[in-house]
Amino acid sequence: MILEQITFVSGEFDNDISSVNSLKELEDLRIKYLSRNGIVSTLFEKLKEVPKEDKPAIGNKLNALRTSITDNFNIVKAKLEQKGSTTKLSIDLSLPGYQRQIGSKHILTQTVDEIKSIFKGMGFSTFEGPELESDYYNFEALNFAPDHPARDMQDTYFVSKDFLLRTHTSPVQVRVMKKYKPPIRAIMPGRVYRSEAVSARSYCMFHQVEGLVIDTDITFAELKGTLVFFAKQFYGNDLKYRFRASFFPFTEPSAEMDITCYICGGKGCKICKHTGWLEILGCGMVDPNVLINCGIDPDLYSGYAFGMGIERTAMLKYNIQDIRIFFENDFRFLKQF
Amino acid sequence: MKISLNWLKQYVNIENIPLDDLLNKLTLSGLEVEDVYDESSKLKNIVVGFVKEKKKHPNADKLSVCIVSTGNEEFQVVCGAPNVEAGQKVIFAKIGAVIPNGNYTISKAKLRGVESFGMLCSESELELSDDHSGLKILDPSLQEGTPVSDALGLNDVLLEIGITPNRPDALSHYGVARDISAIYDLELKFPEIRISESDQVISKLAEIEIEDTVNCPRYSSRVVTGVKIKESPVWLKESLRKIGLRPISNVVDVTNFVMHELGQPLHAFDLDMLAGRKIIVKSTSVESTFKTLDSKDRKLAPGTLMICDSQKPVAIAGVMGGENSEVSQNTTNILIESAYFNPSGIRKTSKYLSLGTDASYRFERGTDPRGTLLAANRAAQLIAQLGDGQIAKGVIDIYPAIIKDKLITLRISRIEKILGYNVPKESIHQILQRLGIKIQNQSSSELQLSVPPFRPDLEREIDIIEEIARIYGYDNIPTVEKIYSTLAKKYDESAFLDNLKNTAVSLGFYEMINNPLQSAPSASLTGNEIALLNPQSQDMAFLRTSLISGALEVVSRNIKHGEKNLMLFEIGNVFNKNNSDSISSFNDFNEKTKFILIITGNEREKEWNFPQTPFDFYSLKGLVNSFNSKFLLDNVLNDSYYFTQNRIFDYSFDKKIGNDVIGIGGKISQQVLKQFDINQDVYCFEYDVSLLQTALPSGKRHYTDLLKFPKVLRDFAFIFDKSVTYSQVIEHINNSSSGLLKSVKIFDLFESDSLGPDKKSMAFALEFYDIDKTLTEEEIDKEFNKLIVSVSDNFNAKLRGN
Ligand SMILES: [Zn+2]
Repeated sequence: MILEQITFVSGEFDNDISSVNSLKELEDLRIKYLSRNGIVSTLFEKLKEVPKEDKPAIGNKLNALRTSITDNFNIVKAKLEQKGSTTKLSIDLSLPGYQRQIGSKHILTQTVDEIKSIFKGMGFSTFEGPELESDYYNFEALNFAPDHPARDMQDTYFVSKDFLLRTHTSPVQVRVMKKYKPPIRAIMPGRVYRSEAVSARSYCMFHQVEGLVIDTDITFAELKGTLVFFAKQFYGNDLKYRFRASFFPFTEPSAEMDITCYICGGKGCKICKHTGWLEILGCGMVDPNVLINCGIDPDLYSGYAFGMGIERTAMLKYNIQDIRIFFENDFRFLKQF
Repeated sequence: MKISLNWLKQYVNIENIPLDDLLNKLTLSGLEVEDVYDESSKLKNIVVGFVKEKKKHPNADKLSVCIVSTGNEEFQVVCGAPNVEAGQKVIFAKIGAVIPNGNYTISKAKLRGVESFGMLCSESELELSDDHSGLKILDPSLQEGTPVSDALGLNDVLLEIGITPNRPDALSHYGVARDISAIYDLELKFPEIRISESDQVISKLAEIEIEDTVNCPRYSSRVVTGVKIKESPVWLKESLRKIGLRPISNVVDVTNFVMHELGQPLHAFDLDMLAGRKIIVKSTSVESTFKTLDSKDRKLAPGTLMICDSQKPVAIAGVMGGENSEVSQNTTNILIESAYFNPSGIRKTSKYLSLGTDASYRFERGTDPRGTLLAANRAAQLIAQLGDGQIAKGVIDIYPAIIKDKLITLRISRIEKILGYNVPKESIHQILQRLGIKIQNQSSSELQLSVPPFRPDLEREIDIIEEIARIYGYDNIPTVEKIYSTLAKKYDESAFLDNLKNTAVSLGFYEMINNPLQSAPSASLTGNEIALLNPQSQDMAFLRTSLISGALEVVSRNIKHGEKNLMLFEIGNVFNKNNSDSISSFNDFNEKTKFILIITGNEREKEWNFPQTPFDFYSLKGLVNSFNSKFLLDNVLNDSYYFTQNRIFDYSFDKKIGNDVIGIGGKISQQVLKQFDINQDVYCFEYDVSLLQTALPSGKRHYTDLLKFPKVLRDFAFIFDKSVTYSQVIEHINNSSSGLLKSVKIFDLFESDSLGPDKKSMAFALEFYDIDKTLTEEEIDKEFNKLIVSVSDNFNAKLRGN
């Protein structure tokens, strides 16, 4: 009896499953055959009535039937699921996603950050100072004599006889030296002002990063080493450089550092004014008068200082022709960086 | 400053130095060559040609056809000049040459049917003179084929050198030659001055007196009589023209020549125009007016040093001569002034008059007090020579206090201590001597130096070390390969600002950097503005008093470009006057760092299945609170709300800690938007960074254990009177609940006719949990029901059915 039923069910299942076309129909089949009250379970129920000696054989047949039905069922289910995913979706996945705006720092800030991180790696601290300065900090303490033409090097905006918008970040040097005793290794980023006509190449304000190192046994050779290391980190390892003599009232000896023009590779072009060199910073050994003004004994300590313009650096690095674009804050410009 | 290399060659022999090397070494030593102009470059492909044959042009009467030889080649050239003849040596521009006058390139041409391979040139075509009457006929001894630049001596190289303000000694050809002699260890030569004096004694012809010896430590003079004022010879005119000066007359040209040769400014007076034939150098005591030789009336401050005759001023000392004593066509007797003036006095006068001249430029930097006589002699020699004059016997040289050499001790060990390199002893000696610094005494450890006064910049040991380093060459000082750092404490004063910037960026803001110099309306909008004494323009005449106006200008400009949805921030300093009007100390103003967030337009643009979301007041508030949250300030700051319009905002709110307002913001008023030409809503919030920093919770951050027990959520909605605010309800709920209630959020708000005209519905989601255990339903029900009763009673509110 039961054996015939097993054979019959097997054939009926084959028949049923061959006509299944959807997951819904398949689910109906699952309920018909494999659920708790389904046909297969009912047959297992009937095993109780089978004589003891026949039970193993019939049990095996029943197990085989269940395995066969389950396997077939799973195969068809997988096929239907795969088929469904390609044909049954009605959404257009090519429509655009909802994009979010990620802000950004101004390119000048990014440039300062990059410079800061290089010097931070060399053990430099970071200090800031006021933009509205006294003549004392901006000039006098930095060894600018009151009536010296050196003052003409920096066209100054005054707000009164003794107060002015700082023309360089160097007054922060003085503040740091007065506040902290050597050893000092510091960089001082900040905004400075010059009373110059606004044009593509010059603006009434710009940004600098100033550096200062004071310790026993600080030499010009170390100044060169530090700045060459910086330039290689910032501009690339294979650059050529040179130091040429210059003049700043607060350093002696004073120098300017040039690197090979990376626009033309040193052959000469418009950007480097056909010299093949680009000036990247001014530097020098801190003048003993400045040390004395800050209460540091120049016979015990020596040091160096350097300063670089951020706008100029960023203009060179990102091929920007007009300095004014930094301060227009055109959203189309800001979004580029 | 322009330097002619041919001129320079008179003082130092640079024939064997390659030009590139010379320019490079000058630049490296501190005399930066900013520009180079090679005269011969404009005469490329122009050579000496020999006219071998001349025939008449078959089709044109005024043209001739010549065969021109350049030695190894012959060219057929059609020529229109009437004076061309066979056998002449002429200037021949080959194909490819660029004719200086008109800047056109010579190419193969056909003139009235005859081919021409080049052009024969006049002087004017090469810009040698204005003579365009005919061909320039050259010296027959010139070799054909020689470049014209060599044949005519047009092979000078002109340099533009940037001289730093500490180097007045280098403001002349002789001065630059001195540096070159030091760099290359070459002899420095000075052209011999030969003075042949007449019998007339100078003291009979003129008298000189210095009243103000502080401002005029030395006045030297020569007199030349019987001078004919005329045009200068070609060599002098050319020398001046090359360095950018316009030749005027022999006497004036000589004074300019000597200034550019030696660096000593000179002035030539018409001796007969000087009343009493006398010079008195004195300072004015009252304000006065004086007409300078450019026919301008100059207002002089009291204390201006003047050159006077016995009756009147005749020159502003060191700056410019007067019209009344100027050398003219009728002048015959010349008094040459060669003086040393106090630099700071000249600078003051020049600044006061806003009048800078080649003379004042040199005097204010410091000329050589020892060089006055030499320059007077040089000028007298040249004036006599070029103007057929006689040099009066003797000089007048008033020099009351001799200016001595500066004595400087150089410790040899200091050189290495500063440079990190031991410059060889021979190099040190050679450099110092070539620069004119004498070694008086020496020991193994020290050099006693005497520095002549033409180097006012050399005063101390360190200055001498710089001289040694720059001439020896910075590139010859090794670059140290190891840099030692210290273990001293490190500081980072910009760390907090960096943190603010990073947070703003993470919220989607873009950073702007604005010009702190503003117009009066922009600066005065938000504070007590500080004016610049010397602004470039009225648009940039005041310091910003807040970041708001700068930000609004940016918003306005961007909207005009079509960028209407903006999230911007800026961190920068703002400046306000305190009470006093003038600024004489740091107490008279305050400089504060501010931080602004500004938003306008849509937070989200319309998308294909999403409506646009405009920014509103709550967007601003949400962003500000996200910010505060990041800095753990959620429960530290208190909000206040202002519903009435003020100068800047239609409505606004601030954040306080105690009584200190650390930030304020809101919706920009229509009136202000109009001022900035903006026609969409703008919201901004401005923090005071230092107050914000002081508000930050102190101490280290600690980890908080993650919640191990479930949160239970409940919500309720009430109908309130319209006058009840959200914050009143929240405050009440927070105050009347136990610690189990951890958060309350409003999730629905509406008004409707069915509620009644004075009513509104607010729905709140409440979150309960205990960090130590799982809450039971009973505990929560008890708490929740208590709150329902409390809210109903307190606000007379009606619980809405679920
Ligand atoms: Zn280049």
